[in-house]
Amino acid sequence: MTVPSPTHIACHECDLLVAVPELKPKQHAHCPRCNFLLAARRPDAQAKLLSYSLTALIFLGLANAFPFITLNARGMEQTVTLLGSVAILFTEQHHLLAAVVFALIAVIPALLLMGVVYVSLSIQLGRELPGARMCLRGTIALAPWNMAEIFLIGILVSFIKIVSLADVHLGLSFWAYTLFTLGVALVTINFDRREVWSLLVRDHPHPTGPDHG
Amino acid sequence: MVEQTAKARGLQGCPVCTLVVPIGTPHCPRCGSHGHAPDDPTPWNPSMQSTWAWLLTAVLLYLPANFLPIMYTNKWGDVHESTILGGVLKLWSHGSYPIATIIFVASVLVPIGKILILIWLCLSVQLRHSTTLQHKTKMYRITELVGRWSMVDVFVVGILVALIQFGQIMTILPGPAALAFAGMVFTTMLAAHSFDPRLLWAHKPS
Repeated sequence: MTVPSPTHIACHECDLLVAVPELKPKQHAHCPRCNFLLAARRPDAQAKLLSYSLTALIFLGLANAFPFITLNARGMEQTVTLLGSVAILFTEQHHLLAAVVFALIAVIPALLLMGVVYVSLSIQLGRELPGARMCLRGTIALAPWNMAEIFLIGILVSFIKIVSLADVHLGLSFWAYTLFTLGVALVTINFDRREVWSLLVRDHPHPTGPDHG
Repeated sequence: MVEQTAKARGLQGCPVCTLVVPIGTPHCPRCGSHGHAPDDPTPWNPSMQSTWAWLLTAVLLYLPANFLPIMYTNKWGDVHESTILGGVLKLWSHGSYPIATIIFVASVLVPIGKILILIWLCLSVQLRHSTTLQHKTKMYRITELVGRWSMVDVFVVGILVALIQFGQIMTILPGPAALAFAGMVFTTMLAAHSFDPRLLWAHKPS
């Protein structure tokens, strides 16, 4: 049995063994058989990952600091913050719904970003910080469950639904949340799991060693 | 060079870090994840079974999600129930066509389409249909990509409940369909995750 070099990828979607050449910035590698995106190299991806994830975290913090939406109806005013709206769901005894929504729109994206920050720091410092591998595994597992951008569409839909009932104003936090979502999207675009793993773990016991070959 | 799968060469790719290791390696030496080569392409292999199990759960949850109310509107003591489809029709009749379309696509078309596509893909693995594989793989990719967007209606309910709390004048409360619908979105996502697209290619004549 011949074991391929680390430049090989077994296509995630059709299992074809593909030799991926060294990619230049802005180059992508697609599976020749099923066209799956095997690897992508974005220019300065690692620096971007660190800066976008930190920026997005800051905007998430800001999104909690100001009013999110203000509503005026017949002289009654209602201002809600991001955490406040979750608290309302909780006090109205909809614990499970509150927990699910809060996890999908804030907790999971925040954990994801913190994971990327920690792993990026490890890469930038050139040494593996404790637990960085576990952290990266967790980040990759959480990625599909981040729904920040979907929440944003939800806000806009609700906005249009109630605009006939009341005066609605989007607060500062809404814009902070929008920028946070943009940051998460940029992190996702620049994240190539193969590249990040190979930079994080530089001296892993690769099976091309003599005892396997 | 002849096209060869990793499995045919006794290798498997790590699903988390993409490292290629010999089949049977319990934990990836680079990232520590548990990976496996595609199951043998028998009709009821483990990965097929879990996809069907999640799909069945999703179909079961889809019923209460559509027939039970997703939202209660209490206006001066009058309680009005609305279902997902009822909400879409109401928006449409009020002339909010773009919003009605968004909700209809996200809450009705996407989940049903997703379930049907996954059933089709499962059957084509089990019946060993190895035609239009590129097309099927693309459908799978789209299914995985758009599934999360169905969650939009659950968020809308959450936001409306949080905003419309004016006591006697008007209050909105979530209905049981909200959680059923969220569960349906989760289970279809898990069904798509558990489906192994490599099985589609396993019967490709070489």
